Amino acid sequence: MLRNYFKIAIAVLKRRKFFTFISLFGISFTLTIMMVVTAFIDDVFSSGYPDYNRDRTLYVNSIKQVNTKKGHSQMGPASYHFFDYYVGQLKTPAMVAVSTNFSPSNTYVNNKKLVINLKYTNADYWNVLQYRFVEGKPYQKEQVDRGEKVAVISTETKDSYFGSNAPAVGKYIETDNVCYRVIGVVDNVPVTRFMVYGDMYLPYTVSKADYRAKTLMGSYTGILMAKSAGDVEKMQEEFSAMARRLPTDRKELDKVIVNADHYLASFTRQVFGNAGSTGLAMFFTAVGLFTLLFMLLPTLNLVNINISRIMERSSEIGVRKAFGASSSTLVYQFIIENIILTILGGILGVIFSYIVLQIFNSSNLLANVHLSINLQVLLYSLIACIVFGLLSGVYPAWRMSRLHVVTALKA
Amino acid sequence: MLSHLFKLIWNKKKQNFLLLMEMFVSFLVMFAVFTLLVYYYKNFKVPHGFQYENVWAVNYNDAVKPDRLDSVALYMQTVRQTLLGVDGVQDITFTSANIPFSFTQNNNFVSYNKNKVLANVYEAEDNYASLFNLSVISGRWFDKTDIAGQTNTIVINNRLKESLFGNDEAIGKTILAGDEKLRVIGVSNDMKIDGDYQPTENGFFRKLDTAGLKYNSTILVKIRPGIDASFEPKLFKVLNNVIRNANIEIEHFTKKRERKNTLSLVPMILLSVVGGFLIINVALGLFGVLWYNINKRRCEIGLRRAVGASGSAISWQLIGEALVLSTLAIILGSFFAVQFPLLNVFDLPAGVYLTAIALAIAFIYGLVMICALYPGKQAAAIYPAVALHEE
Repeated sequence: MLRNYFKIAIAVLKRRKFFTFISLFGISFTLTIMMVVTAFIDDVFSSGYPDYNRDRTLYVNSIKQVNTKKGHSQMGPASYHFFDYYVGQLKTPAMVAVSTNFSPSNTYVNNKKLVINLKYTNADYWNVLQYRFVEGKPYQKEQVDRGEKVAVISTETKDSYFGSNAPAVGKYIETDNVCYRVIGVVDNVPVTRFMVYGDMYLPYTVSKADYRAKTLMGSYTGILMAKSAGDVEKMQEEFSAMARRLPTDRKELDKVIVNADHYLASFTRQVFGNAGSTGLAMFFTAVGLFTLLFMLLPTLNLVNINISRIMERSSEIGVRKAFGASSSTLVYQFIIENIILTILGGILGVIFSYIVLQIFNSSNLLANVHLSINLQVLLYSLIACIVFGLLSGVYPAWRMSRLHVVTALKA
Repeated sequence: MLSHLFKLIWNKKKQNFLLLMEMFVSFLVMFAVFTLLVYYYKNFKVPHGFQYENVWAVNYNDAVKPDRLDSVALYMQTVRQTLLGVDGVQDITFTSANIPFSFTQNNNFVSYNKNKVLANVYEAEDNYASLFNLSVISGRWFDKTDIAGQTNTIVINNRLKESLFGNDEAIGKTILAGDEKLRVIGVSNDMKIDGDYQPTENGFFRKLDTAGLKYNSTILVKIRPGIDASFEPKLFKVLNNVIRNANIEIEHFTKKRERKNTLSLVPMILLSVVGGFLIINVALGLFGVLWYNINKRRCEIGLRRAVGASGSAISWQLIGEALVLSTLAIILGSFFAVQFPLLNVFDLPAGVYLTAIALAIAFIYGLVMICALYPGKQAAAIYPAVALHEE
């Protein structure tokens, strides 16, 4: 039966080439845009180099102190002291990666300016995150404690500072008038993973800011890693219990708010959420609404085209009805036909998105970002295809099935 | 004639309803695209109001400064003198971090009588205006007689003057920022600080005081034109030696402006690409449906031709039908679009919305005309004998 529908569908598509072209154009371009957007979102939010352990990590981006009576507050990254002293007391985290957000500094090679984004980290940072070392190795805890002036740099920095052929380990790199000995070179990290992005990684002990200050506010963010994925919930509970007891560091502020969240939630909380909710639900609602609105116009268009197509075949429908085909069989057939059409459009869409992503990647619009179509993106697109096909097929099919045999035959 | 066209559309209301919806949604999409384009264009036409070409910004963090305020003043004086001594440096000034094209903001509510608005607060020194070639429209800029913390004098920009005082004189008046009383001594030109495509904002300048110097982290350096590439590393070395223990970054205002513009342009380009694609889609769809409808009405058209209608009368009837349908969609769409200026959504000037509505109407009419033209022409070419024979 399905094979028959398939044959009919192909025959119909061949008969009215212009309509087929319009439908395929609409479907494939809608899906191309959806897939490129999905690929981008997937790249930002899914785990990938060097952040592979997102199923068992929690992120602490910022800490907030509030005066609950007057309403004013202070918010920003936490201090090293906070991670060292308060987070250090927790039992469930196996390791805690502490680092500053990347901040730019300048250095000059042959009078050419090089912007180097510095990131100060602790030693466990290298264990929580799996950077690929092209050369050398990360700094160890002892080196951090001694305050050794050592640096891990990205391949990009190495290429522009030392040249692409020469090895860099053991050489010295100068920035802000301080010389650091290069002990490792890692693969570039795309800037979209800004929690772990940097051009040069240094031990926090060589940072010029005072990391010993016993305040809560500072310039550090943290990634807490549990022993296993099952422990994450326990770790989150322990963290919130600790956060509730936390004293403020200034008299006029009376409440501390700090959360350890999963990767996505740690961002949605800042945009949509508040202390009580992560804002994930809001985020998904917003994304869903936007997608629906975006698909509305192509869907309406396709519905219009489909109605014209179906009405054109009214004599065929009349004959089938006259010979006893039920309405549901006809509806079923047309929906299947439409889904075949959308899947054809979907395949074209995949090809187009592949081309678009290749162009995007080679244009280097965002440094080191390489978007790709992976299985997950393909799956989402397939779902989008089918939803699209159903949406645009159901109404015309319903209209058609209500056609009277006599009128249908007459036309 | 019009009522006849309405009747034709009404008779096929079911079929036309979806077409109407499609035009309606297209209208809304075009309204959104045009609103953004008109808004950006309007902002683009406004002059920058200051000269940034030879100005560099130096950001320094974590500098170790003396604890006592009078020693801070002395320390910063040394920094100033050292930098002014560098060959190639024309002028320098210390300022707050919310410099033009930056991502930092510092604002406060200010009020005069019953008018209360949010305004950017900039901390500036006596030579800030001359460094940026910022012109003072009335009154004067800061000089030695203004002492931060004592005289509480401020210079407001033209936009803030208009939102607080309207056409009245502003010089000499006192405005409130929180509990603080500030006396206006000058009105400066507006600075378009957020890049080419963003609007000017309310703002006022306060004199940078010694406490401000302690937490200062931004220096503006005006350099002499025509210096070569080796100048920047030289300046950087000097900075590193004079400001001990700091992370230092030099930025060029021309580059900062580009970056800020890119950030404004990306949503515009994305929206235009998506809007353009949707419109091509709709155009093809409309074209297909109109074409199909005309093919279905061959015998009707043949009959009209047989009783004497000319070819152009036929094609005008079909185009007219499409235009009446799009008028309905536009009326419906305009009803929703007009709510934006009425309810003041997104805080854009009403003129922007109205221009966008006008452009969207013209666009939809144009689009429908183009889509109906070819099918209409085809219909005009139908021979009555052939059409009637088929029946």
